Amino acid sequence: MTRKLPSGLAATGFALALALVVLNAAALADEAFIPDQTGDELSILDLEKGRIVARIPIPGKPAGVAMSRDGRTAFVTSTEGKYISVVDTAERRVLRRIATSDTPLGIALDHSGASLYLAGFYQPRLYKIDIASGALEATLDIGALPSGVAVTSDGAVIVTADRGDDQISIIDAAKWTRLATVKVGAHPFGVTIDPAGARVYTANVESNDISVVDLASRKLIGTVKVGKRPYAVALANGLGFSTDQYGGTVSVFDLATLQPIKRISVGEYPEGIEASADGERIYVTNWFSNEVSAIDAHTLQVIARIPVGDGPRAFGKFLRVTP
Amino acid sequence: MAAILKKLFWTGAVLLAFALPQVVLPQVALAHGPTRQKTTEKIEINAPPAKVWAIIADFHDMSWLPGIAKTTGEGGNTPDAAKRQLTLDNGATIDESLYKYDPAEMSYAYRIDNVDVKVLPVNNYSASIIVLPADGGKSVVEWRGAFYRGYPNNDPPPELSDEAALKAVSGLFRKGLENLKKKAESAP
Repeated sequence: MTRKLPSGLAATGFALALALVVLNAAALADEAFIPDQTGDELSILDLEKGRIVARIPIPGKPAGVAMSRDGRTAFVTSTEGKYISVVDTAERRVLRRIATSDTPLGIALDHSGASLYLAGFYQPRLYKIDIASGALEATLDIGALPSGVAVTSDGAVIVTADRGDDQISIIDAAKWTRLATVKVGAHPFGVTIDPAGARVYTANVESNDISVVDLASRKLIGTVKVGKRPYAVALANGLGFSTDQYGGTVSVFDLATLQPIKRISVGEYPEGIEASADGERIYVTNWFSNEVSAIDAHTLQVIARIPVGDGPRAFGKFLRVTP
Repeated sequence: MAAILKKLFWTGAVLLAFALPQVVLPQVALAHGPTRQKTTEKIEINAPPAKVWAIIADFHDMSWLPGIAKTTGEGGNTPDAAKRQLTLDNGATIDESLYKYDPAEMSYAYRIDNVDVKVLPVNNYSASIIVLPADGGKSVVEWRGAFYRGYPNNDPPPELSDEAALKAVSGLFRKGLENLKKKAESAP
């Protein structure tokens, strides 16, 4: 006996399948913009081809990176040069430089895409910089030695990892005031907010763990043991992924139970990490071994190793979906 | 000039650092420079890997590194438990701890917990050493270091710069590997 599907449902199924194919195709054409700190350049990777497609010289020891939401502009911080390079991602060229008074590392974009948030690497401050003019719009006092900066997807809340004070600062972006500080593990470096804006994850270099903070209650709600010297966290497929610099691993943990699942061997001294927009892949920059590892977020296997320039750090958001 | 530069290996760098005026370091806990440095030194040794590994396998025996007067410590070769203190010929000390140990791969990794930047101009230093098999029953030993410069803030003085840190660490590795080669090739 054959059953006939209602034509409406079949059409929906077909459309869904088509949408998935299109989504996958788009995801495979993602590009990565990797600052190579010792190499003084930006490696641009085609993640479908699995290789470098362009290299842009960026002097001044580039390390931090942020990507506009439309993927058209990347921002790279040069720690020794003390400037931010504004990069046209399609044309593969530096449009201009924005000078900074403090050493720039951690950087993120505001919701409008008109301003940048920059953590003072040495000064306990968050800077808001107008991208068009390069002018300093505002300065806010936060904790000591801030490194990572993240923004909720609605743009309302900024979180900084204040590594010198073992805390995060939670900031109201519109009012430009600090709402709270929450103590986390020792020396938090990278900070990641989930897409719902519900939780914050910090990678704590000195205590070898990840702190989980609930943004609504502004409380520490969990701690996950990971490999040695964790640097940053990515989220995908209900899982958390941390780069363990000394371990040479990516630690995987369950976001619901906060239990460790697996450690995946990657390159040497993994640092910057980010999930693809579709959550299918995790990309990891290996600072010592000069390569990017691609991890399948479902099988948890390394599926590609892509060589890049010397000393890739990629601290921040370095992926874009190609239009 | 070349001869002078050649002498600027580890002990040379130490003496030089001592001879320079004292630098006042800002008292910022856990701070380090913004640019991480790395160096890899390797050497081919005309001896089988097992023989070379036997010389370096004990974390508490650094007698193969010139300039080390003694090594004391505890915890054997157990990662996260083993700690050692190296005492240099000039009396300065370096405290280190083991965080990876793999006798099958013939490698281990350690970090410096405490060193005066006048002794070795680095911060946040970690390193690993591995013995690899090479053609003809020979070995290649690779020693890799990752660290920040000795000066934790902006605008370092020359003796605590990125370049000074790189030079000191590669010099140290070079010297150690050359002596390891000599030991392994001359041992019965």
